[in-house]
Amino acid sequence: MFETGVRQFRLALGIATGRRIDPRNVERLVGDVLATLAEFGAAGADAAELVEGPTANPQDRLEFTNSSLRRTAKRLAAQSPFYARHFSSAQIDPAKLDVAGLRAIPVTVKADLTERPGDFRCTDTPAYLATRSTGTTGRPTEVWLSRYEMELWPALGALASVLRGELRPGDVMQVNLSSRSTVAVHQAANACRLAGAGCRPLGIVAPEAALDGLADGGATILLTNPSYLAELITAARRAGLGASDFRLRRLVVGGEVLSASLARAAARTFGVQLVEDPYSMTEIVPISGRPCSQGHMHHDTNLGLTELVDLDTGEPAAAGALGTLVITPYFPYRDCTPVFRYDTRDVARCLPDTPLGCELASVPATSLILGKADHLLRIPGREVVTPRQLMEAIEALPAEPWPARYRAAACDGRIRLTLPASAIAGYGQAEAVRHFAAAGLDVDLDIVGDDQAVSLRHTRSDMHETTFASPHALVGA
Amino acid sequence: MPVVTFPIPQWEESLTLFCVILTGLIVVCAGSLAYFRYVRMERPPVGTFNTRDVVILLIFIGILPFVYGWLPDPFVTCVLAVTFASALYIGYRPLLGSVGIWLAIGLLFGLNIWSSHYVMGTIPGWQLWYTEQSIVVGLSAIAVCNLYLQGGMKLRHVAWLSLGLAAYDILFASYYPLTGRLIARYITHPLTPVMGMRFGEVDYAVGLGDLLVYSLFFVAAYKAYGARAARIAAVVIVVMGGFATAFIPFLFNFTNANLDILIPAQSLFGPVAFVTYLWMKRHYGRERTMAEYLASQGGTAAAPQVEQAPAPQPASI
Repeated sequence: MFETGVRQFRLALGIATGRRIDPRNVERLVGDVLATLAEFGAAGADAAELVEGPTANPQDRLEFTNSSLRRTAKRLAAQSPFYARHFSSAQIDPAKLDVAGLRAIPVTVKADLTERPGDFRCTDTPAYLATRSTGTTGRPTEVWLSRYEMELWPALGALASVLRGELRPGDVMQVNLSSRSTVAVHQAANACRLAGAGCRPLGIVAPEAALDGLADGGATILLTNPSYLAELITAARRAGLGASDFRLRRLVVGGEVLSASLARAAARTFGVQLVEDPYSMTEIVPISGRPCSQGHMHHDTNLGLTELVDLDTGEPAAAGALGTLVITPYFPYRDCTPVFRYDTRDVARCLPDTPLGCELASVPATSLILGKADHLLRIPGREVVTPRQLMEAIEALPAEPWPARYRAAACDGRIRLTLPASAIAGYGQAEAVRHFAAAGLDVDLDIVGDDQAVSLRHTRSDMHETTFASPHALVGA
Repeated sequence: MPVVTFPIPQWEESLTLFCVILTGLIVVCAGSLAYFRYVRMERPPVGTFNTRDVVILLIFIGILPFVYGWLPDPFVTCVLAVTFASALYIGYRPLLGSVGIWLAIGLLFGLNIWSSHYVMGTIPGWQLWYTEQSIVVGLSAIAVCNLYLQGGMKLRHVAWLSLGLAAYDILFASYYPLTGRLIARYITHPLTPVMGMRFGEVDYAVGLGDLLVYSLFFVAAYKAYGARAARIAAVVIVVMGGFATAFIPFLFNFTNANLDILIPAQSLFGPVAFVTYLWMKRHYGRERTMAEYLASQGGTAAAPQVEQAPAPQPASI
């Protein structure tokens, strides 16, 4: 108990002063939390502050944000060749930076990172591990990470997870993510190690192999992408498996838009209450967003700053408007290849300017992620159509065409939507058009053969990894 | 005019001391158990008592007499005031509220300081001082006992602590009698950490530390294994902590059973408490956790807070 007090004080001091946090100290705190849960069944009354941070008060949060931004910008100006030039050309004094002055700094775009990755690396930090984005929306981005980051993030993740009861000793987490997602896999495995849980990183293997791990392998947590989850549901139904065949208590997906119909089907098939759909991205780790029960996406304020920037003006998005998430991870949480005001191109809608009534009301929020900015459909005289709107409507079709394969384009003031034939099987084209109209989408359908389905829209589940033991099997539309 | 008193037979002194200790034991142990059953203290968000805490406590207890010996008396009073005030505040704020507890602490301390300066010199004066002293010490022992036990201290920890204190007592009461000298020097000052009474010219008292260990052992046995184990613990406490401690001077024919002689009570109690713990562990098995204890009382331990998760995050794009 005395030692735990000292560890908490050290962590709080690190957060408050912005110095590097000792990952070992956080790891030991995870052990303390486990001991506390074993003795008392729950953490004490103020445990949430350990995870959420003491920044519920808006004024305190603003001061914390300003000092974190200054600290991060000062380090980048000194250590990152890209940002030294970037700040200099924008005539920014990092020591005087605050939230209001942030807009003077142009956002960093993906092209900057893919074309000059070496310029982003801080000169005072040795690189340890590279991670790549999967490249489903273009050229993959490679980000180098330091050993410090790879020790700190799992420790902080495990601390939050065990405090929230998301990860417990005895859990078995099955990870069906691309094996190239080194950060996510590393983080999952190490968080499990710290929490006394098991981890089974399988990759995007044949769904049958993954189902074996979920059913007979006794997995209690599944971490995957929505498109692969869709394949798993289809394979489970084909094999006659249902909720009683699984021990899952949590199902966590990320990296793609999760439709409501797919989430409902997954919950039913695997016997979980809900499918958790947090937001994260390779380039901006360890920043994340959490959805609440009212369908907001709440963005972490302790490890970084998330702005919602209007797609057209570059100014903060107005209430009700669409914007792109621009994210700045703070030092000391991002160390080796940091980014500052990184434009994720992930689109969300700004919430109305009224107090939130959800369980995470003290944490700033936007709408759920609606898709990539480059995939928005702009039709003159009409509201912008987002990828989420299209996916929700397609995946709600009676044929359950998961994961949704489609191509959409604006054509003569209407949406030209290309679907594989299996998507409207047994439904008829006219009925399908009415289905989309009911969802507020005025579409002209263009039906192609199922052999062209994969080429219509790439998903992460397309990156199947073969093994000697099981055949390469593509499931779904 | 002070009443002149005369020495009494040693067996009578031992019997009186036993009664004083027994009274203290009953008040503190019963009070601690009642508090443990009916009052829930706030606990820190993370942290539970562990073996290293026992070591830290023993080191602290080992160093403290030297610090007290080195500090001038007014500073010792200040340290004791902070210690007692903290214990009382933590223990009784849930019952009295912030204002009520500070008023109570002020009243108790004020009366104690006043009585230490103005009522000594007569038997009734001493008795008033001891009564007031005993209230502060008893309430503090109950609070600290619950602070530790509700903080996750187990019977195993208490047993090891008792064993450590046994060694400590032998060292500091017998071979290096620092504790006795401190008590003799400080006995008339405010907030002396003893619970006792004066009858005739003889002081009969039991130390705060002893009472704390007894109540810890008693309530920890109850928490770990239930009422039956608590009864066994009570017998051990009464026999070793009360009877043996009180009658040692008589049995070994000490010529002066006044407080000038400090009986190393823990050296008698500690080893027996430790053996009792080993027996209980063998006989009853694993100790109950606090959550299991609460569940057994019909209350339910709070379930871990479950919210939606960021968990280990999948990378995107």
